[in-house]
Amino acid sequence: MQQLVTPSRKTMTLNLTEAEMKALDELSATKDISKTAVLRQALRLYQMVEARIARGEKLFFEHDVTKQKAELMVL
Amino acid sequence: MSERTAIYLKDRKAGKLVEATLIDGVTRDEIENAEAAWKPFLEEQLKRMQAQGIPKERWPQHRHWDWRQKQEATEQYLAYRMFGIECQLQMQGLMLVLTAGRHCRIESHKGKPLAYIHFLAAAPWNLPGILAEPRFGLVGSILLATAIHLSLEEEFQGRIGLHSLPQADEWYRNSCGMSDLGCDPAVQNLRYFEMTPEQASEFLKVR
Repeated sequence: MQQLVTPSRKTMTLNLTEAEMKALDELSATKDISKTAVLRQALRLYQMVEARIARGEKLFFEHDVTKQKAELMVL
Repeated sequence: MSERTAIYLKDRKAGKLVEATLIDGVTRDEIENAEAAWKPFLEEQLKRMQAQGIPKERWPQHRHWDWRQKQEATEQYLAYRMFGIECQLQMQGLMLVLTAGRHCRIESHKGKPLAYIHFLAAAPWNLPGILAEPRFGLVGSILLATAIHLSLEEEFQGRIGLHSLPQADEWYRNSCGMSDLGCDPAVQNLRYFEMTPEQASEFLKVR
């Protein structure tokens, strides 16, 4: 099978603080993906979260064992 | 935006490969046309199965899936990708993949991102469980290979995951070589399957 056609992409320069860059580096290392891929993931999740909050939904985290739920505040 | 790639399906009756198109970014019109063809065919076959006394356990377990609704619910999100296979002017299979927020459960890749196949279905006339002689083969394999290619494109190294309906468990486990991580009480107790980069590479090699 042929590979998927990669959509055309645009380049931008990103200015981050040292702490932000450190967090990005750590995520990139932990997830084993490039920093660009981390930011792409973050954008997709943020877009989905924003759209659902705009629809009146809330974002919760549930503890795997205790099943305790905590609402995540999205600013 | 929609991208189209030439692929081949197996025409089971003719016993040869036929040209088809893989669509990345299936449009609303294409989904509506697919549903307009799939639903009446499926309803007709279900009536036949009922008349023949075939137990409901053998009816397709995804017969209630509404692809129009799935498309409407996800089309605005970057994280979702909808793929389809078109052949002889009809949709032969559809797949919805989530590309953000899902992570591997297999210990050796735990926490690493993967492409999660939310839904994958072949057109009802391609299902061996419905017809003695289904029309096209390779639909499921090509869609699964597409999810692997998407995972590679996303830098997930071919890792994919999915929850399987019981009728498809054996296919994912034995034909596709995915790891069976058991029943998931969080998702209707469906079995959860994952493919590691090594398994993905093996899957692509033999196809």
